[in-house]
Amino acid sequence: MSEIKKIINGCLAGNRRDQELLYRRHASKLYAVCLQYSGNDEEARDILQEGFIKIFENLSHYKHEGSFEGWMRRITVNTALEKFRSRHNLYRVDDIDTIQEPDAEPDNQDYAGLEANDLLEIIRELPPKYRMVFNLYAIEGYSHKEISKMVNISEGTSKSNLSRARIILQRRVGSYTGIKKRAVNG
Amino acid sequence: MDERRANIDLVFRNGLKDYEVLPPPEVWNSIQPAIKIKQRPFILLRSAAMIAVVLGLSFIAYKLSREISTAPASPEIAFQIDSSSPLTAPSIMTPSYIPGKEKSLINSSPKTFIAGITENPVPSEIENASFPDAIATGETNNILLGRSFTINEPIRPSLTSANKKTIEIKPVVPEYIPESSITKHTERWSIGAMASPTYYSSFSSDNSELSNQLAASEQSLISYSGGVSVSYKLNKRFSIQTGLYYSSLGQEIDGIASFGGFQKYDYTKGDHNFEVLTTSGTVYTNNADVFLISTGPGERIITAYTNDVFDPKKANLQYINNTLIQNFSFIELPVVLRYKIVDKAVDINLLGGLSYNMMVDNSVYTTGDGVKYVIGKTDGLNMLTVSSSFGLGMEYSFSKKLSLNLEPTFRYYLNPFNEFVGSTTHPYSFGVFSGISYRF
Repeated sequence: MSEIKKIINGCLAGNRRDQELLYRRHASKLYAVCLQYSGNDEEARDILQEGFIKIFENLSHYKHEGSFEGWMRRITVNTALEKFRSRHNLYRVDDIDTIQEPDAEPDNQDYAGLEANDLLEIIRELPPKYRMVFNLYAIEGYSHKEISKMVNISEGTSKSNLSRARIILQRRVGSYTGIKKRAVNG
Repeated sequence: MDERRANIDLVFRNGLKDYEVLPPPEVWNSIQPAIKIKQRPFILLRSAAMIAVVLGLSFIAYKLSREISTAPASPEIAFQIDSSSPLTAPSIMTPSYIPGKEKSLINSSPKTFIAGITENPVPSEIENASFPDAIATGETNNILLGRSFTINEPIRPSLTSANKKTIEIKPVVPEYIPESSITKHTERWSIGAMASPTYYSSFSSDNSELSNQLAASEQSLISYSGGVSVSYKLNKRFSIQTGLYYSSLGQEIDGIASFGGFQKYDYTKGDHNFEVLTTSGTVYTNNADVFLISTGPGERIITAYTNDVFDPKKANLQYINNTLIQNFSFIELPVVLRYKIVDKAVDINLLGGLSYNMMVDNSVYTTGDGVKYVIGKTDGLNMLTVSSSFGLGMEYSFSKKLSLNLEPTFRYYLNPFNEFVGSTTHPYSFGVFSGISYRF
């Protein structure tokens, strides 16, 4: 029996230490996902908390087929999506629709200097709808058709949001690398 | 352009892959209690359902008992009126019997013959009817309608046909005394002692493969319950009972072989060497001399001493048994409401209530050659549980003060032994309590 299977069985049998062990092993990775999908730390903590409660509640449904980490990640992303849907109406329209697109595409850029925390910071600065579509498409690998159903938008809007998200990200990545290079060169 | 756009996707996908950020510690602190709290709606629903069942049964019993008590047996007597009598019966008249309105038939007023039975106005034909002296029978002389005749029992006329000369006279209870007005001294308190063998099992909400495997190797043991009770009679039908009971529930876990003499091989520093998964929770061993190995299907033992690490046969450990006994004992404080359905020589009571149970023993052991080896205890059990009970009690009074009781009772634990998500187990038990009670 694999170690993770033993931990899962321990959780199912009510072993509190196994529950904590499961959390400690996977919380850091899932928290990074939560931060990626949220605009602020409080929201990320909420997603992590609700996601883990769902994970524990649904452990008995995990069939030990496929990656357990992937299964947990899907639950976390779905929790983020639910939160997004519930807050969707609260977002200001100008957060989404009045973003000024850059006049020109940035030149080929060197992304080498960017670290993961820089990327996370950049992605979190995106407006919620762009961030959600970009995450679902570029990171999770969903199609526009799937995203349109998940976020309750049209496929066209999904494509448009992705396109805008990419433009904004490219611009910000550019400015980040520029700042970093300037900092390195003195 | 598309390539460049796809490139930015890869930058983020690869850059954030395997990225980890340590979450604030308070997140786990809020997850842990939330896991437990999630179960409460189910507990509330179950409690509500149980209360509804008890109330429903009580209501049905109450209605039944009302129907029985308001349908008195009233044998009818009929006697012939002399055909020469000038009696002419009026059209159909159905005197109504109104409990509490009766008066003695011995009354000087001629109208009170009917008024004694009903307050309906009396038709003139009846008022003027002449009753022959022939109807006078019995020992007591009464004056009725100005004529003297004797009856054994009070009478009630029932004229059902205008032309019939037969009058059916139904006997009436001479003095109807409402139950509430009976003022006799009753013993309201009683103390008793009862005991019962109980069959224990459990409902599980978890149907996972593991849970089914665990349940398949567990068998309930016949347990027992007993204690003393104090009861107070609220009225003729209802009484409330409390007391102090001790109960023991247990189960056998097959397929786990235990060996003795392991201590000299135990090189780990941990506080326990083995964890055994059961439907009631995880058992942690606390006896360092005992070695456990799973011999049944599925892996239900978690240990560093797996088969490939340690072989108890090669180490020549002493085999004890292939079964573990998991035992839980409780001190119980029940609050039970009784409702008397039948009040005869053998009273029948409907009973239902709640019991607050405090766990006083939680042990896992095995036996070999008549020796009991304590192995450990089940982790994470609720120290306090609430169980509901309902049953049917039979009470036979063999003297004014003493009675014998027999009560088949079903009990259901409203909250599970273990508070965790994924597997909730609610024990239930059935027992036939018998005992004796003394009224004072």
